[in-house]
Amino acid sequence: MAFKLPDIRLPKFRKEPKVKYPNPAFFRAKDEIDWKKQGENLLEFSKIAVELIKETDWKEFLAKQKSDMISDFNRVKDEIEAISKMSPAELQYLLQYGEKKLGKLYRSGAMATVRREFRGVKDTAYDFWEWLRMWGMLLGTFSKDLVPALNMTFWYRWMISYMCCVAFMDKNTLGQRGRALQMSHLMIYDIFRYVAENLVLLAKGDRKNGNSSELNKKMVIFDEMTMGQIMCGFPDLIGVPFQLMPVFLVSEIDQLTCVPYIDAVESFGLPSDTCPVPSSECGALVIDALPHVGSCFLSSSMPCDGSVMASSYFSRRFPDMPVYHLCFPVRYEYEETVEDGAEDIRQCIRFIEEQTGAKWSWDAYFTCMKRFNEETKYELQKWEVNKTNYPQIIGPSYELFRKWNYEMDGGADPRVIPTFKKVNKLLYDAYNARDEAWVGKMRYRGLVWSCPAHYYANFSNWLANCWGIDILVEMESLNYTKPLETEDPDLALQDLARLYERMVMRRHTNGGYHNVVDELWRQAEAWNVDIIIMYQNVACKNMSTLQGMLDDLARDKNFHMIWIEHDLMDPRTVSRKTMRGKVNEYMRTVMKAEPVDETLLEFDDEIMM
Amino acid sequence: MKDLKHLIYFESLLENADNELVEKQKAEGGLAIGYTCFHIPEVLLNVGNCFSVRLRAPRTGSIDIATYYMSNYTCEFARSLVERGIEGGFNFLDGLAGVDACSMMNRFYEHFEVLKMNEKPNFFVTHTDMPYKVEPHTLVHYRKQMQLRLLDVMKEKYGVDISDEAIRAAVEEHNKVCRIITEIGEMRKAENPVITGYEFHVLNLVSYTCPKAQILPYLEETLAELKKRKPDKKPWYRARVAVVGSEIDDPDFTKMIEEQGAMVVADRYCYGSTPGREVIELNDDEPALDQICRHYMEVAECARYISDEKVAQRRETADRLAREFGADGIIYEQMKYCDFWGFERALVTHIMSTEKGWPVLSIDRLYNAKGSGQLRTRFQAFVESLEIKKIQKAKQEGGNA
Repeated sequence: MAFKLPDIRLPKFRKEPKVKYPNPAFFRAKDEIDWKKQGENLLEFSKIAVELIKETDWKEFLAKQKSDMISDFNRVKDEIEAISKMSPAELQYLLQYGEKKLGKLYRSGAMATVRREFRGVKDTAYDFWEWLRMWGMLLGTFSKDLVPALNMTFWYRWMISYMCCVAFMDKNTLGQRGRALQMSHLMIYDIFRYVAENLVLLAKGDRKNGNSSELNKKMVIFDEMTMGQIMCGFPDLIGVPFQLMPVFLVSEIDQLTCVPYIDAVESFGLPSDTCPVPSSECGALVIDALPHVGSCFLSSSMPCDGSVMASSYFSRRFPDMPVYHLCFPVRYEYEETVEDGAEDIRQCIRFIEEQTGAKWSWDAYFTCMKRFNEETKYELQKWEVNKTNYPQIIGPSYELFRKWNYEMDGGADPRVIPTFKKVNKLLYDAYNARDEAWVGKMRYRGLVWSCPAHYYANFSNWLANCWGIDILVEMESLNYTKPLETEDPDLALQDLARLYERMVMRRHTNGGYHNVVDELWRQAEAWNVDIIIMYQNVACKNMSTLQGMLDDLARDKNFHMIWIEHDLMDPRTVSRKTMRGKVNEYMRTVMKAEPVDETLLEFDDEIMM
Repeated sequence: MKDLKHLIYFESLLENADNELVEKQKAEGGLAIGYTCFHIPEVLLNVGNCFSVRLRAPRTGSIDIATYYMSNYTCEFARSLVERGIEGGFNFLDGLAGVDACSMMNRFYEHFEVLKMNEKPNFFVTHTDMPYKVEPHTLVHYRKQMQLRLLDVMKEKYGVDISDEAIRAAVEEHNKVCRIITEIGEMRKAENPVITGYEFHVLNLVSYTCPKAQILPYLEETLAELKKRKPDKKPWYRARVAVVGSEIDDPDFTKMIEEQGAMVVADRYCYGSTPGREVIELNDDEPALDQICRHYMEVAECARYISDEKVAQRRETADRLAREFGADGIIYEQMKYCDFWGFERALVTHIMSTEKGWPVLSIDRLYNAKGSGQLRTRFQAFVESLEIKKIQKAKQEGGNA
């Protein structure tokens, strides 16, 4: 049966003047750079650079370059030889679908793959176009205020990791072909645009750098674990998830970015058994690695115990910054708790108004929520397709996009709706054509549960390419999907509280064991999965405390469940190789399976982006 | 000093959750309601024919089964309670008043239900939702939770009298206990106290774990005895310390500190007397439940409270207690794997030391800490450092004079 694209269109809104998003005035706000301070910082930076140059073992460096050159030469020779020995059919396949053995792209001790993937003529050309488009967007966005944006690299080491963001794009689409590749590119483009714009704003507002008081008056920063929807009611302000760019997202691009922060805060006295997310946030505060921006801060009690505590570190670093602690009931399914959450949002709105002088606009809020409701409908269509025998939208780009749209964008950016439309058009076309996201490699239907580590370790992608395990959905995508109220202000606040209470991860790990245990079996059946990838973040108390219960029930219900220990952005506790080893072992010994790409069984990517 | 008359009896009461006085009260028709967290107002569990038992897992040995269920990366206190529950150590309970305050303790309550640890027909486990800050709307929320998720359940399951009068009667009895414990606690302020930190810890713990009506006569007698007790000629300790942090229900922990020469003069930790043994003052204008909820929110010192004023309150309380009780230093302690106190301890240790000028020892510890040689060594070193500081201070003052 062919799917027909349902007729989903944005409702007709009240005629509004066409607005550019984000407001261009934010980028035009006047900088007040203290050049003397920049000079001092540059001098310090230069001293560090000189020290690094002096300490470098140049002989070893040159030997490494030589060895890499020889290795590249041999690789090219081997590749030419292999191509020359191919039959016409194999050559045709190569030109159409590209290479199959992706393990060859990795080199021990390297930070990047030896070259980009050959995906067949058409897809490689498309991939290159998207590469150009991405760079164009990044350069265009940074040009909006180039000086503070570039100057940020001299203040914050995490900024350097963003230079590798395009490699992140390559990593997330590894092995993908055709429409699956196109969908991934469309989605990741929107995320990168959001990140680039926010980086420019952080640079402009940072009191150490751009120091734009005009912008800071308009900027409200909030905890990266707080959803962004509340800012939709303040069209004259900009909300920035403060730690998202310097900590969370950058660590997904480069898993080693947060290691110095974790070390710093552990040296300060924090036990090493805490979750690396709040640990990294606190560590970054301890060593002054976060920009000093905005007019006020929205802290939050979400999603878990560790995150609650990070706010006191913020207040310590930035004592002059007014803070509102947005707190929601943990037992969120009790109907009597809803009003408490709604009241807290009401108080938070009042706080923002007092701190910024801006006024809450119900019109603006409802406009965004109508958009968000539409986006949710598009999301549900994706689920509908992935539940069939021909799943189409798979892989880390989709997982990241869902999370970003649900948590950060939240209907605020009108440019995201066209992306949803384009992606869903491709999705239905792909379904009707019975496309394979990973051509010839799809074997098992997988579900990811618990705090996921797939971005850091590029795990979903590896599962698909190495073992043919296709992750149809992950726990963190399965959140609140009911339409939010868009007419009545009181009901709207209650709905917003319900939404916040069901933020990514919190929806499952809070409110009672049934939300994560019973829900797992319900979803596993609904998506008809063969394998459950059970991530075990060694520092997540909410999940660790259910280990036995999950194990018992998996046995009773006869599901294949592969436990994979990890420590999010701290690869020293559990390396990517160890994580992959768990799957290899299970697939070989329990499933008696053969990999679809044996070159990916063992490879060294310990310091790879 | 001469031994306290009932000390050995009190120690024996702490050897089992299901102790002699609990059994006696049950035989008289009492309903035992277990709880662990301060956020559940103890006094509400003592209405009508109910009585509160603050749960501990004394003499914990292996926690292997609980570790299977909850992994080895989680709070040993929560795991020990699960283990004890599986062993049948909490079969005497008639109900369990749970809070969703910290994730690991919440899972203890959930395992209690899922593993069907107590199969009495009317047995209940409640899960109440706790606020993170003290605001008018969070007070309303807290009160609602106590009414709907605790008192109403007690009434529904056992027909308990939860009227305002019954609550006020429970407060009256509770206050009697609090006054005695506070008076005894104040004795630790003396230069040469008539009570040790260990003895006080035992007395305070029995007040949490035994039915109030049963333990009151013993406490009254002990207070009278202490008033007449003669201290040793010279103080026995080498230094005085305040202990601040997460849950401690093991008097042997205090004993270990005191064995190294440091008297524990203030106990600002969960299961300690601050908070917990403050008198609840009720007026006649408002329902008792409202006033009780406000009281508990205001005196709470749990690191889970996120708001700035509560963060400041925690630091001020520790500083105030240490000054009032004449401490030479502060020991910040944290149960291993406790996220709330892990973050709090790291930061506050730094603040108390650099801003308030306190010598601070910062430790994380297991639930069963009494056998830890490492801790013993750290306490010894801390006592020595405090002594050196005192000598240096005396020299400096002598020099200045």
